[in-house]
Amino acid sequence: MTLTGMKKHVGVLEQAGLVTTEKVGRVRTCTLGPRRLQEEAAWIERYRQVWDARFDELDRVVEGLKRKERVDGRKQTE
Amino acid sequence: MDASRRSEPAPMKNPTTVERTSERELVVTRTFNGPPRLVFEAWTKPELFRQWWVPKSMGMALLSCEMDVRVGGQYRLEFAHGDSQAAFFGTYQEVAPHSRLVWTNEESDEGSVTTVTFEEQGGKTLLVMHELYPSKEALDAAGTGAADAMGESFQQLDELLDTLSASAGRA
Repeated sequence: MTLTGMKKHVGVLEQAGLVTTEKVGRVRTCTLGPRRLQEEAAWIERYRQVWDARFDELDRVVEGLKRKERVDGRKQTE
Repeated sequence: MDASRRSEPAPMKNPTTVERTSERELVVTRTFNGPPRLVFEAWTKPELFRQWWVPKSMGMALLSCEMDVRVGGQYRLEFAHGDSQAAFFGTYQEVAPHSRLVWTNEESDEGSVTTVTFEEQGGKTLLVMHELYPSKEALDAAGTGAADAMGESFQQLDELLDTLSASAGRA
């Protein structure tokens, strides 16, 4: 990897708060940021599971509304 | 996996995705197999909303749900989780029927502003929920809190599954 490429990668990680860097003279030292990658992935996944569970229930509500519309539609045409 | 237990083939489940798009923002997306007018209805009528907002896996019970869905109107949700109770409340800032809802989360000073958009896609609805927190720290804290709460209920679920599989093993 080129130095420029490396700088770009580190920059992205830094923006995401996953690493912090410190430059002393010509040397830039990277350390894992306040938010470690695993922790970040774990809580986003848990947050996703909450919404996934909610949305599974919402699927059922929407299905119910669709059925009701079909029934009501038939009644109106009768 | 015991496929014969299913009475009918399960329809394809639409995936839920979550992305942290910046230090202060989370975006959740999901497609629903129904038009925006129905999905919007399920988000704005309390009797429908309470049917899906608190899935059993959360280990919480919804005690009350009041929603005055108009600009400047308030909502209030009260939960019980074990012996403790919690209330979530805020104000609707934008209400565009069948397309967009914006509300504040005022139970804490660090609450997010939630924007939900409903986009018609060939009879289906693409739902995008955007949460904007006042600071990076507020989002981090909200995430950790939610993760802890969920971790707890998943642990309960794990225990339940262990019990079930143990009794199934004996049968």
